[in-house]
Amino acid sequence: MQPLLRVEKLVKCYERQNVFGSREKLLALDGVSFAVAQETTLAVVGESGSGKSTLGFCISCLEIPTSGSIWFEGRDIVVLAESERRKLRPQIQLIFQDPSNSLNPRWSVEEILLEPLNLKGKLKREETKQRAVALMTQVGLSSDMFQRSPAQLSGGQRQRLAIARALALEPRVLILDEALSALDCSVQAQIANLLIELQRTLGMTYLFITHDLAMAAHLADEIAVMNRGRVVEQGPAQNILRHPKEEITRHLLAAIPSLDNAERPPLES
Amino acid sequence: MTMRRPLAKWLVILGVLHAIVVCAGFFAPYDPIEQDRKNPYLPPMPLHLLDAQGHLHLRPFAYALKLREGTFDQYEQDTSQSVPMKFFRSGAGYRLLGFLPSRIHLFGSEDARICLLGTDAYGRDQFSRLLYGGQISLLAGLLGAGCTLSIGLCVGAAAGYFGGWRDDALMRVAELFLALPWLYLLFALRAFLPLSVSPLKAFFLIVAVIGAVGWARPARLVRGVVLSAKERDFVRAARGFGATDSYLLRRHILPETSSVLLTQAAILIPQYVLAEMTLSFLGLGVPEPAPSWGNLLSNLQQYSVLVSYWWMYLPALAMVPFFLGYLGLASSLQERLEPYKIERRSPGSLA
Amino acid sequence: MRFFFRRLRHACFLLFGVSILAFLFTTLAPGNYFDEMRLNPQIAPETMAALRAQYQLDRPLPVRYVSWMNSVLHGQMGFSFAYNSPVAPILFVRARNTLLLTITATLIAWGIALPLGVWSAERFGRLPDRLLSWATAALLVIPDLALALGLLVLTVRTGWFPTGSMTSLDFGSLSLGGKFRDLALHMTLPVAALVLSGLPLLIRHVRAAVAEVLDAPFMLAARGHGIPRRTLLYRYALRVAANPLISLFGFSIGALLSGSLLVEVVMSWPGLGPLLLESILSRDLYVVIDGVLFSTMFLVSGNLIADILLYWADPRIRTESAAR
Repeated sequence: MQPLLRVEKLVKCYERQNVFGSREKLLALDGVSFAVAQETTLAVVGESGSGKSTLGFCISCLEIPTSGSIWFEGRDIVVLAESERRKLRPQIQLIFQDPSNSLNPRWSVEEILLEPLNLKGKLKREETKQRAVALMTQVGLSSDMFQRSPAQLSGGQRQRLAIARALALEPRVLILDEALSALDCSVQAQIANLLIELQRTLGMTYLFITHDLAMAAHLADEIAVMNRGRVVEQGPAQNILRHPKEEITRHLLAAIPSLDNAERPPLES
Repeated sequence: MTMRRPLAKWLVILGVLHAIVVCAGFFAPYDPIEQDRKNPYLPPMPLHLLDAQGHLHLRPFAYALKLREGTFDQYEQDTSQSVPMKFFRSGAGYRLLGFLPSRIHLFGSEDARICLLGTDAYGRDQFSRLLYGGQISLLAGLLGAGCTLSIGLCVGAAAGYFGGWRDDALMRVAELFLALPWLYLLFALRAFLPLSVSPLKAFFLIVAVIGAVGWARPARLVRGVVLSAKERDFVRAARGFGATDSYLLRRHILPETSSVLLTQAAILIPQYVLAEMTLSFLGLGVPEPAPSWGNLLSNLQQYSVLVSYWWMYLPALAMVPFFLGYLGLASSLQERLEPYKIERRSPGSLA
Repeated sequence: MRFFFRRLRHACFLLFGVSILAFLFTTLAPGNYFDEMRLNPQIAPETMAALRAQYQLDRPLPVRYVSWMNSVLHGQMGFSFAYNSPVAPILFVRARNTLLLTITATLIAWGIALPLGVWSAERFGRLPDRLLSWATAALLVIPDLALALGLLVLTVRTGWFPTGSMTSLDFGSLSLGGKFRDLALHMTLPVAALVLSGLPLLIRHVRAAVAEVLDAPFMLAARGHGIPRRTLLYRYALRVAANPLISLFGFSIGALLSGSLLVEVVMSWPGLGPLLLESILSRDLYVVIDGVLFSTMFLVSGNLIADILLYWADPRIRTESAAR
């Protein structure tokens, strides 16, 4: 079967000017390759600074990779012109880690939710409103929150709102960039279940970026482990969990809190 | 909500001060360019409630002035001739707010004129000139600040948003403008404009010159805000919905700069009013006979005026309450923007 | 050393840019010195043309810029039409007078602001501090122009100090001590105006900077070690607060320079200010450009000094530039 999204030898190099005017090179992605089939979830797991967020930005067309290609629906989106990329972006949506930063604090819930719909145009005022209410119910929010500001919502509600907003454009792929990490444990579970349910009903493809191997195992069909801009290990979720090959994977496994100490692999310094 | 209180207080104070100047026609008893050649350099006429005989009057009055025996420019109060103040009296015609024709003045008098701040060399009422002059000076300050902030906003937003070589080039030019001492720059800019022009043209020249000088600082501040705003996730998210650059700037990024712009406005307006005063004082600004706070003071450059007619200095103090208001406004705006810092600074801050 | 050279290069770039800007602005002006002359019927049009050619006013802009730059590098700095002489000698005397005023004012202002700011920061939020804050606020809201004129009116009416010009008429006949006294008396008024207009901002910044340091945990620790109060305040707190204060120092030079322009005109101090005003009014082109260039040079060198002080005071900058 043709995968929906295929990444080949992706490289992203940042050049940054420091305070004293000299340039520093930073290799965020160093030849990353993987593929995601439709209606499945790939979890990209890695420590902070391993380049997984950059990966998300590149795939969602927010950053232009230095080299390599990203095939989506049979097209290489890296070489597209800016106007083409803009049309493509709604297809691949990104959910950010911190919803208090990804929702404009000056806007009301309604304005935030309607933003993608208004940008898309085409819909009439009434239809837009109806769609907004439908989206709110879909993610388990009530539509009497419309006039509130994001600051008046709880963290979980905010992330639900961010998901609802991303769903408004009916994307094929949803990239979840540490989307659960800023939330409390119980809320994390609620949102995770919401995501599973949405995948079932809407047939979505997820790219789940996280440092939390346990949550990755819960959500994902496949796992790719990243370290220093490279994918070091990749395979079906259960395989990775049971037979980790790489040092870094074992480290990540060791970080999962467990009630049963015997199951824990020894932590090396 | 306690933080909004000082802000509201300063806004009210400034509102009242500006209203007085805007309605100068009503508050000023006389026409600012009406001459009275027989009475040059009259000293200020104090208002009394008690007359020379110790009787209390409910209506404030002033004593007419007469030349002291044997002098030609020394006046003294003529206690035999009291000039009662008449309120809401009809006098010289004016246009309220620039379009409502009216003749009603807050106060006036029957026979002799009441000149609260004295008169100038042509016998023009200084108090009326002060109020009318405020219109010109404050308008110059407001327009100049608007000019500066719009240039600063455009340059800063372009530099911050598009980055790269545009950013480098624009910020280099800004550095140049920051390196020039600004009053000298004002001079240099004024130097290349025609010297003798009509008052209206002179006014707009001044506004343009003052406005063009100070853009570098706000531009740098705006650039900083834009740089951090464009990295915010909600901007990335909107871009992900297919937003164009102009949409992102308009809806997400420029609103973030509003607080910086407001604070800058509160800082710049009094500075620019002062700049207009300085230019007009030196004869490079609004020409006579139109009054402005600067050219009201320009005759103080003559030594004889300095020695004999000290009251010609009084209009200089007109700026003080305005400065106070804007300074208070700026510091309370800053406090709202940096809520962390106020705790340390509050005892010292002006508010 | 590399740090110093980089700053110097930057300063040169600024000066060069300013020279072009000033040249552009002033030469693009409609009308020049000879246009004013044209109104005079006694001067023949041929003479006018000859004069214009002599001073190269008929040449294209870049040529004029280069020839002016050449003249600057040869220490003449262009030609003054009004004085009928090279600009440099006229300008140097005026610049010396302006420098005398600004440097004295800078030293006095900092000499007052530093101890007063520290004193106030130490009593942060208490009555003396509040009183001082109100005093500085009161000074701050008096516009420079009103302050200078007010001092002038006061002095003229009381006759406490001489006003106008730099020296008395009989200056040449005075002894050395008498000359010094005379100059000091004449300087009092303009320096006082400059100091008073710059002081409130300086005091506020010193106070804020020191108060912030005094609050830092390491100061508490140092106090815990039993370091005496004076040492603590002047050796520790002030050194940590030095960074923002030195930047402020560079800025204060610019502010005082701008202020001195006005003060000089008001008090008729024979510095750059009156010269600049006079030459603008008579469209004496090169004097205007050179005046602006000179004041920029003062400002840029002030910032350069601040940079060097910063390098000396802040170990972070030293290590950063050594590491590269």
